[in-house]
Amino acid sequence: MSPVRAELRKLLGLPTAWVGLVLGTLTAPVVLLLNAPYTRRAIAAGTLTDTSDLGLRDLGIGLIGPIVLGVIVVSSEYTSTGQDAPGARQLTATLAAVPDRLRLLVAKATALVLVVAAQAAVTTAATLTLTQVLYGEHAPAPAPARVVAAILYWTLTALLAYAIALISRNGIVPLTLLIINSSVVSVSYLLTKVTDLASYLPDIVGAQMFIGSADFPVEIAPVTAGLVMTAWVIALLVVGAVLFERRDV
Amino acid sequence: MITIDRISKTKSRTQILHEVTFEARPGRVTGFLGPNGAGKTSTLRILLGLDRPQSGTALICGRRYQKLDRPLLTVGALLDGSGAHRARTARAHLRWVAASNGLPDSRADEVLEVVGLTGDARKRAGRFSLGMSRRLGLATALLGDPAVLVLDEPVNGLDPAGIRWMREFLRDSAAQGRTVLLSSHLMGELAETADDVIVIDKGRIVIQGGLADVIGDHRTLEDAFFELTATEAGGPW
Ligand SMILES: Nc1ncnc2c1ncn2[C@@H]1O[C@H](COP(=O)(O)OP(=O)(O)OP(=O)(O)O)[C@@H](O)[C@H]1O
Ligand SMILES: [Mg+2]
Repeated sequence: MSPVRAELRKLLGLPTAWVGLVLGTLTAPVVLLLNAPYTRRAIAAGTLTDTSDLGLRDLGIGLIGPIVLGVIVVSSEYTSTGQDAPGARQLTATLAAVPDRLRLLVAKATALVLVVAAQAAVTTAATLTLTQVLYGEHAPAPAPARVVAAILYWTLTALLAYAIALISRNGIVPLTLLIINSSVVSVSYLLTKVTDLASYLPDIVGAQMFIGSADFPVEIAPVTAGLVMTAWVIALLVVGAVLFERRDV
Repeated sequence: MITIDRISKTKSRTQILHEVTFEARPGRVTGFLGPNGAGKTSTLRILLGLDRPQSGTALICGRRYQKLDRPLLTVGALLDGSGAHRARTARAHLRWVAASNGLPDSRADEVLEVVGLTGDARKRAGRFSLGMSRRLGLATALLGDPAVLVLDEPVNGLDPAGIRWMREFLRDSAAQGRTVLLSSHLMGELAETADDVIVIDKGRIVIQGGLADVIGDHRTLEDAFFELTATEAGGPW
């Protein structure tokens, strides 16, 4: 238990973590608000008939939060602690305190899941409430299972970022990879134009856990999508853990 | 009690440690001496479970560091830097370390006082000077009031008052029955602090024993050291 408490403190004591928390929590509701006038007109004009994904659809943009959190749980251990000793890193103190590396990784993952699940719950609740306020009866409340799936997707994405950071031992690689892919150009999405297999990449398949009607090239049932996403996360976590266990610090 | 038994380590295809074997006993200050690149830090990192040896064992109180449950209650370690993330205050750093081993928050302020950093508790570690970082690192090592201290170049970066304080602190610790292992290349310093001396050169232990035995017929520890490590005085030193 103590290592988890320590990891929670470490994470919430980092200014970058709060950037991830605030950005991740506010982005989706803000985007929803900004889109409101356009969406209202579309509903009034009858061009937007399927409103079942309103709200949930915008959650994806907030994934930057879990991605940042998942990455810095690891990258903060590897950043240099000062110019006096270029090789010195927090990881030395961390492993001195919790030398069982597997136990450490579990503690870190637990702290991350607790923070991200809470963030996802708050964001999802805010986004769905806002959708109700804005569109009223036009936007039916989604089934509870879909809401849970959305929270689960956020949590799994954080763990995916965590695993990639463990493998790369820094923050730049996973942040660039995941943020560009989830916001600027989705390489995964472009790949789906080339091969149907790309539909099983984590970010494409993960969204299908809770978004039904979007134009996915291959339709995958939510539960299957969740299982595929979980398999990705487990596979990458295992690779990350084996490397972390074996490497010299 | 620290027992290092035939540790060998290869890094980047070069063997940097050759069957390193020695002991550090309770109630004594053991000085680990050697020129730059001799393998002191490498040995201590293996002792602390940070790096893996190719062969050999390093035990603290009969157990590998990785097998200690709340290690900070047994071992206090000081390596390069403070180990504190730049964005954290000294107090925040000490509090998470304390929490990880089930120690109360109040320990943070207690050890800050011991190392003379009470006034800097709310300062971020990234703003610390070299000497302040070393003090914070030592404070971290003392959190669990450990019976074993492992310190890599502890006086590095300390001012004269800090060096004197460290010397007395280490002597007191040993007098209270603690095992103190410290590496250094400051011979004068070690000659005043250490009871036992281990000399390492190019990854091999060249001599170990009581301070007087290691000095032997030489005038000073420094003379003995240069003789043993075959480094010409006035050379790179
Ligand atoms: N990552 C590495 N890859 C290859 N060689 C390394 C690595 N780290 C250390 N070494 C080598 O291992 C040897 C021992 O280094 P170590 O840091 O243990 O020396 P030291 O006795 O602590 O020296 P100093 O007094 O300068 O601190 C050196 O020759 C060094 O070049
Ligand atoms: Mg060294």
